[in-house]
Amino acid sequence: MKLKKVAKVLLSCVLAGALFTGCGGGQGGDKPAQSEAPIKLGMITHLNATEKRMAEILEKVQEESGVNVSKYTITYYENLNNLQMGLESGSVDRASLYRCVADFALATSDKFELVSNDNLKGLADSFCFAVRKEDSALKDDLNKAIDEMKSDGTLDKLIDEYITKVDKKQAPPKIDIPMTEGAPVIKVGVTGDLPPLDFVNTDGTPAGFNTALLAEIAKRLGRNVELVDIDSGARAAALSSKQIDVIFWAIVPVGEKIPSDIDKPENVEMSKPYFKDDVAHLKLKK
Amino acid sequence: MELIYNIFIKDGGWLTILNGLKVTVEISALSLLFGTLLGSLLCFLRMSKFTPLKIFAQVYIAIVRGSPVLMLLMLLFYGVLARAGMPPVAVAVITFSLHTAAHVAELLRSAMMALDRGQIEAARTLGFSKWQAFQLVTFPQILRIAKPVYQSTIINLIQWTSVVGYVTITDLTRVINNIASRTMQPLITITGGLLIYLAISWLVHGIFRLSERKSQLRQADS
Repeated sequence: MKLKKVAKVLLSCVLAGALFTGCGGGQGGDKPAQSEAPIKLGMITHLNATEKRMAEILEKVQEESGVNVSKYTITYYENLNNLQMGLESGSVDRASLYRCVADFALATSDKFELVSNDNLKGLADSFCFAVRKEDSALKDDLNKAIDEMKSDGTLDKLIDEYITKVDKKQAPPKIDIPMTEGAPVIKVGVTGDLPPLDFVNTDGTPAGFNTALLAEIAKRLGRNVELVDIDSGARAAALSSKQIDVIFWAIVPVGEKIPSDIDKPENVEMSKPYFKDDVAHLKLKK
Repeated sequence: MELIYNIFIKDGGWLTILNGLKVTVEISALSLLFGTLLGSLLCFLRMSKFTPLKIFAQVYIAIVRGSPVLMLLMLLFYGVLARAGMPPVAVAVITFSLHTAAHVAELLRSAMMALDRGQIEAARTLGFSKWQAFQLVTFPQILRIAKPVYQSTIINLIQWTSVVGYVTITDLTRVINNIASRTMQPLITITGGLLIYLAISWLVHGIFRLSERKSQLRQADS
């Protein structure tokens, strides 16, 4: 009777252990043997593109950029956390991220390393704001501010300060968004899901590049910017129902054939891009 | 150890978690209060002999209990109440109250049905008024029967509130997710968050155990 109990406890321990460590450990060993097999790649899902649409887009990307996309089987994750857990558990072999996000991951955690031999040079995404279609005045204002910042070098300074030269071991500085009494408010949805761009600080306040950028824009437009912390899955709903006015958007234009509004929903307009970044792949350290 | 310190404590990170916890508890407690009141009313309608009211309650319970609470929440916040300019927390409380009410109504009804109708009839023949019979015979027994199910309703409610991040509320789950992104340690952070939710559930469980023991003591006294 007692023996049975002990065996049961042991068995459940083994099961729980297997669940927690995942099957990743076992898979790591026999990878070189099947180098011809497609690489399992994890990506963060684009807000409005179905997996089928993404497959079409990637095919065009392949044509234009020469990056061999067909050697990957792609799994889409809702956000960076899930993607990272997918990588750690071995569900995917590699995670496709933006260069700055990959750098942040490498600096924050010693579990990952960069995949170096992939020629991802031709791949770059741009970042912009998305607003409702009927808000064209807001879009023009944002474009104006972005243009101004581009021409007087503020944008490059911000990129330097918050992305390139940022000390990733340190918490980024707190950013005060200037408040103008009585000025109209622009509500911006932040998710905290994409450090160091979309980032929420230890004290729960948004910080990082996007916030710094918005602080500058608020100053230039003489408007108040209110940051609203929201789950990334609900951003589109929040935008279209006017709970927020601006969300962050990434566009995937490569060459001529791919329009920049590839996954743009009907009623959304995009501002000019303010930042461009390469794609980088991460894998787990052996 | 240092890792856990860095994730949860460093630079006042625990304060942010505490703030998130406060929001979760606030929404849960208010929804429980309003949900229970509304649920009792709903149960009363459901048991009433006036058919339209009964059907109304039946339809309400069927719809609300059968729909995922996240969809209900998003529908209310981004659709029905989008123009009302209500703070998100208020919308969340309304949603969870409506949802809890349906569950409470059903659990009260099942408790009522478990009672022997003969008791009420006996009380009535002994000269108790309808209200007295309810207050002195039916109510205490419902309380006793419904308690365990009510406890699990509360715990369910607390866990359901973890979706309020979808309507711009920074609750415990949102805080945990933000920390996971910031520290790039999702597994440990989420385990930590899970432990906090577990602790709340245990607290609720503990409160119910305490009240049970008290009522047992009272019975032993009398």
